[in-house]
Amino acid sequence: MWRACASKGAFRIGVLCAILIPVAKVMTKRLKHTQNDPNEEHVTINSRLYADLPIHGISTPSRCNLTIQHHLSRIPCITVGGVSSQLWSLKGSHAHITFRHLGYTYIQVKSLKQKDGNRAVPRSVVREKSPPTSCESSPIAASPMGTPLRKVLNRISGLASSCRSKSGPRGRCQIFHRDVGQEEFQYASAHCLSSYYSVFVARLAIMVMLAILIALLTVLTWHFTKMYTTKSLKTLAFGLRYELLQRPILRMWGILNSTSEITTAQVKLSEYVIRRYNKPSTQAEQVELYQMMKDITWALFASRKALNAITINYKNGFVQAFHRDHKNNNTFYIYSDLANYSISGTESSSSKMLLTRKGWNDQFIRGNVSAIWYREPLDPISGEKTGKALPIPPDEVINIAGPSQVPDGVASWHVAVSKYTDSPLLSAALPVWDSSNTSIVAVVGVTTALFSVGQLMKELVEVHSGYIYLTSHEGYLLATSTNAPLLKNTTNGTKLMMAVDSEDRVIRMGAQWLQKAYGNKFPPGDVVHVEKANLGGQHYYIDLFFLNLKRLPMVGVIIIPRKYIMGKIDERSIKTLIILISASVGILVIGCVSILILTNGVSKEMKLRAELISHLNARRRAEASSNYKSQFLANMSHELRTPMAAVIGLLDILICDDHLTNEQYAMVTQIRKCSTALLRLLNNILDLSKVESGKLVFEEAEFDLGRELEGLADMFSVQCINHNVETVLDLSDDIPKLVLGDSARVVQVFANLISNSIKFTTSGHIILRGWCENPNVSTYSGKFSPDLKKPLSALKTKLKHHGNHMKKASKRDNKIVLWFEVEDTGSGIDPSKWESVFESFEQADPSTTRTHGGTGLGLCIVRTLVNKMGGEIKVVKKNGPGTRIRLFLLLTTTDGTEQHGQMDFANHSVAVILALHGSMGRLVMSEWLSRNGVPALEASEWNELKQILHELFHPRTRNRVFDDHYSRGESLRSRIHSLQDMANLVYIVVVDMRLFDLSTDIWKEQLNFLDKFSGRVKFAWMLNHDTSNAIKIELRRKGHVLMVNRPLYKAKMVHILEAVIKERHAEIHKRSPKGNKGGSHECLEIDSTHLETCSSDDSEISEKGGAVHTGEQTREGTVKSNTANCQTPKNCLVELTRLGSEMNILRTAEDECDAWPELHDTEDAKSENSNSLEQHHVSSSTKDRDNLYTSKAVNGEKSLEGLRILLAEDTPVLQRVATIMLEKMGATVIAVGDGLQAVDALNCELDGKEYRRERLQTDIHDSHPYDLILMDCQMPKMDGYEATKAIRKSEARMGWHIPIVALTAHAMSSDEAKCLEVGMDAYLTKPIDYKFMRRTHESSLGVVRVSGVTLLRDDICIRDDICRGIA
Amino acid sequence: MDLVQLQRQLVDYKTSLYNEGFLDEQFTQLQELQDENNPDFVVEVVSLFFEDSERLLNELTKALEQQSVDFKRVDAHVHQLKGSSSSIGAQRVQKVCIAFRNYCEEQNIEGCVKCLQQVRHEYSLVKTKLESMFQLQQQILSAGGSIPM
Repeated sequence: MWRACASKGAFRIGVLCAILIPVAKVMTKRLKHTQNDPNEEHVTINSRLYADLPIHGISTPSRCNLTIQHHLSRIPCITVGGVSSQLWSLKGSHAHITFRHLGYTYIQVKSLKQKDGNRAVPRSVVREKSPPTSCESSPIAASPMGTPLRKVLNRISGLASSCRSKSGPRGRCQIFHRDVGQEEFQYASAHCLSSYYSVFVARLAIMVMLAILIALLTVLTWHFTKMYTTKSLKTLAFGLRYELLQRPILRMWGILNSTSEITTAQVKLSEYVIRRYNKPSTQAEQVELYQMMKDITWALFASRKALNAITINYKNGFVQAFHRDHKNNNTFYIYSDLANYSISGTESSSSKMLLTRKGWNDQFIRGNVSAIWYREPLDPISGEKTGKALPIPPDEVINIAGPSQVPDGVASWHVAVSKYTDSPLLSAALPVWDSSNTSIVAVVGVTTALFSVGQLMKELVEVHSGYIYLTSHEGYLLATSTNAPLLKNTTNGTKLMMAVDSEDRVIRMGAQWLQKAYGNKFPPGDVVHVEKANLGGQHYYIDLFFLNLKRLPMVGVIIIPRKYIMGKIDERSIKTLIILISASVGILVIGCVSILILTNGVSKEMKLRAELISHLNARRRAEASSNYKSQFLANMSHELRTPMAAVIGLLDILICDDHLTNEQYAMVTQIRKCSTALLRLLNNILDLSKVESGKLVFEEAEFDLGRELEGLADMFSVQCINHNVETVLDLSDDIPKLVLGDSARVVQVFANLISNSIKFTTSGHIILRGWCENPNVSTYSGKFSPDLKKPLSALKTKLKHHGNHMKKASKRDNKIVLWFEVEDTGSGIDPSKWESVFESFEQADPSTTRTHGGTGLGLCIVRTLVNKMGGEIKVVKKNGPGTRIRLFLLLTTTDGTEQHGQMDFANHSVAVILALHGSMGRLVMSEWLSRNGVPALEASEWNELKQILHELFHPRTRNRVFDDHYSRGESLRSRIHSLQDMANLVYIVVVDMRLFDLSTDIWKEQLNFLDKFSGRVKFAWMLNHDTSNAIKIELRRKGHVLMVNRPLYKAKMVHILEAVIKERHAEIHKRSPKGNKGGSHECLEIDSTHLETCSSDDSEISEKGGAVHTGEQTREGTVKSNTANCQTPKNCLVELTRLGSEMNILRTAEDECDAWPELHDTEDAKSENSNSLEQHHVSSSTKDRDNLYTSKAVNGEKSLEGLRILLAEDTPVLQRVATIMLEKMGATVIAVGDGLQAVDALNCELDGKEYRRERLQTDIHDSHPYDLILMDCQMPKMDGYEATKAIRKSEARMGWHIPIVALTAHAMSSDEAKCLEVGMDAYLTKPIDYKFMRRTHESSLGVVRVSGVTLLRDDICIRDDICRGIA
Repeated sequence: MDLVQLQRQLVDYKTSLYNEGFLDEQFTQLQELQDENNPDFVVEVVSLFFEDSERLLNELTKALEQQSVDFKRVDAHVHQLKGSSSSIGAQRVQKVCIAFRNYCEEQNIEGCVKCLQQVRHEYSLVKTKLESMFQLQQQILSAGGSIPM
């Protein structure tokens, strides 16, 4: 049963769950859905918003065609400045738009920002600017779950805002804005409501489920508990009832039995006695008989205490009776008067009786009414007479059983009443037969009170409860458990009471109920059990027991109130039910609360998740739009670049026009500058978008980092010249010479940083520091001030994060960490902006756009590039004004051969006097010198230099007055003295041209003054870019040839030192005044690269010449490194080389020993005579490269004078054109038809050279057969790429590098990459433009001639664009 | 008088050539390159161009007539033609060549054939134009005048 119920319950729960789970799922989906929606909605709103905007004059294609179109339509509206004021007037709405679409509204915000001058981040701009109404509603829209309270608030605020907007007339902007606001608001409220309901329903469902579950459990528990108890109790109660009923019945039965026994005994005894005294003839006999009978009867009567009376009624009418009055506990002997009875009379009457049996009836007795009755009290125990027999009135006589009661001679039973007892009496009568058994001689009656039955019932009821009664078949009450009277007094005397008339209410009602239920016909069987009889509003159990005696059928009834048996249980069950219900209610409440809490958590989580999803969506959108933006920018800038290139190209053509007036020329120049700036900006944007779209790929090529940076310094020092800013390069010695990486990008990083610094620095210096992170380099970093170390270590720890696991890898891969610092003394950056300056379009101070121009893209590009190179960049603290930006790069060194071929200057007893204008550069340089063991003196101005020279060489003038003007005179003097102590010291004076007073002609005197020392010291002149030719000519005239351009950095210094040392060696060893003035001198012109090359050349020369000197070994390294570096343009002094080779050709027959000094002579003469102009041109073309466009190349026509150019071109037309072009520029052109021929031509030359070399052994200037190769890319037989590869291969054998310029019709960058990949140095696009060709040639030769390789490469790239634009 | 008229005619003719797009600034450069050392440079180059072009056109015709067209070869030829035409500044030929190459990349024979005809047409046009110009120049020179730039 239980199990069945349980399984049923389980089934129900299962069904419930099955119903509820999909519901919950659907609800969750709905929730998600509703929470995902907002973005789409926003989009539509916004797109409509755009469409509504009248200001742009753009018809956007209706709804939500998403961002790219907006981009396209919006960008012009920003770039076209005219609308910006209108734009600005609607800034509120703009801010609103911006809030949604961060991606492409950057620019828009930017436009606002620039107008406004507000420097906040776009997002915050929006927040601040959005008007209050929208502020109220839009955040709510963002929160998916609004509380009802908030909804009400919303509604109110919405109403308020709408009222407000209705009340006052407003501009179109506001109306439009309100519309949007309301729309959003409506959306928000609907959204809130729906999500609220769905969560509410979900909760409700879960609660209902729980409630049902608990109720079910409760009911089941209660039900089964109750059932069980009730059942067992009922069984018990049934037993009890049965038992209870049984006992009185048994008692009754016992009474009946005993009565019957007594009666029978009395009868038998009477018979015996009467037989004995058969036929008493005499009165005496009669009396004796009666006496005998009295004794017997007494004996029996006394033996049974319960007997009420025993009567013997003789047939003659005499009555003997013993009566016991239980009330008074008296025993009486009652007898009738014997006087009236005769034996005969008795006999006759007895015979009569025999005849008419009916004669023995009450009538008979009554007939004896006349007889006098006596009552004699007896001692109840002994039976002795205790009193006098008194006659009693007949109504006091007890019931005497007469013959009427035994009419048929058998025993009769009946219930009688007596006035002595208040309970019914059970009387039995038996006839006493005579000996012949034919006639009845007497009737014996025994009366027993039923009182004891009642007593028993009472006792039972006392113990238990309820009511018991016994009735006769007719319904007369025989005994009850109550005290209610059983008899009623009627006019006819006391009579038995019917049960239905009982005074006891319960018995009466029970009897009535029974009568109603069964009538007089009782159901068959002994026992009837009735449960739940409703008697007077109460439930009772009624049990009937039928005692089916033949003569005296009786019914026992027990009525037990249900309350007695079941009361406790009912009570308990109710209590249990109450407890269960309250417990389940409690559980339900707790469950509901916990569900609320749980679902609250879940809903919160859901809310958060939805928010997250929406955020992700928004982010994805923003990213997508950002991507679109990048793509768009890339496309746009690419598209813009083409016309820009065309513009620039055309301007160049215009500049070349001879017919321009000066004003026009100036204007065109200006336009060109601006165009170049614009093009640079476009390039920046393109770079940025390239990086952002991840398309930027770094090439891995070997490059000389130091050289690149030196080139940069050179370039920027030119720019700085107008700013009074000093550019200083301070590279540590441990920086590897060759690293692998994308040189262009590395240079771009520093170029951007430095140009940025220049922009903000009006005076002071800009330092580019570089050092290598190495455990053993700490000595070097020790030179930095301690405050510098702190951020360094911070950065280092940062580096360690990815450095740790990288360390091993980097060890293996030769990765090194290069640290750089770009420091300036400019306006500086506020520390709060240190992070944000690297964002795109971000500038530390918005006003800078006005003053300095720029877009704020530079630093962003720098950071992305640095990050891509595995580095990090940040602004660090700096003492004093200015900015210090520190970065590190992860670059790969080529291998362990990073030894510097630097000589040990300390052994050469040289001292340097740095007469430099810029203090920082001087300081850095002197520190470097002293680190390398070269004593250095510093002079910052002319007078100081003068003083030092005086001190050194005219010690006697030491006490002159001007000494005292200088505060540091003493220390200086002591240093000078210490220097003077060192014997045989060679002084090198590096003189900055700015020390001279150039405004007047004083410089000449100054020069003359210095010239006086020229015998004792070596001068190295540091030229400015604007140093006039007059000065240079003057210098050269005076024999000062050691000239360098500003700025002075390590490499240049090294070259100066080397040149001087070498010269000294030459002086010492050669002892030849000719040689002294020769080769070494004229090489020391212009630039460091020259120096290096020349020195190496010279060293080779001396080696080849068999001359042995001491300095040789030390210089060995330099030579080696130079030869190993194929990128190093060795024979850059082309004119010399060319001349040299010509000389060689001319003098094939000459003796080798004589050959080379003479060679130098010739060279010298040649270069001095014919090539002085040309030299100048070369120098100016390299130095003043930035002036290239502004100044007409005067000598351009013959700029390629004397160059041998190999042209490989298959198209005859092109070949011819190019040949003529080049020839016009003065070059010697050898044209070949295809790549194979080109390679052959080259090899032929080489072989010839080899051959000559073998023969002469004086082929010291192992010069190239050609100075330049122009290579068409697409050629029959062997194309340009293959040819280049072949040439490079053969070159590797020879150890030189002929610049190869590609000629290609493909203007794609992939071709460029391919060209550079195979080893070409630059490329030109077809059709060959005369001017550009010239320039390219110059620059590619410049690659050879000057150190600024990258710069040139950049130039070439720009030129490519130009060419592309024109083509 | 006659000379002046001839000179003006030449200038006008040249201008019209430029305006109609037959020639571009490359031709100007070509002319600039001409000097005393190479007095007939332009004529030389242009006749070179004519020779080369005719050769190429023939080759192209042959190549396109074949059963299986070797587009690589065609492309190479067109590339050469394009290079030479752009070198002398025959702009329109060059443009058609660009279209031609596109068809070549698509391997579109019909387009190629069409383009070939166009190229031929443009080439003959520019050839006649240039020849007549040279004739004019010749006349001027023979009349003892100088060629105006």
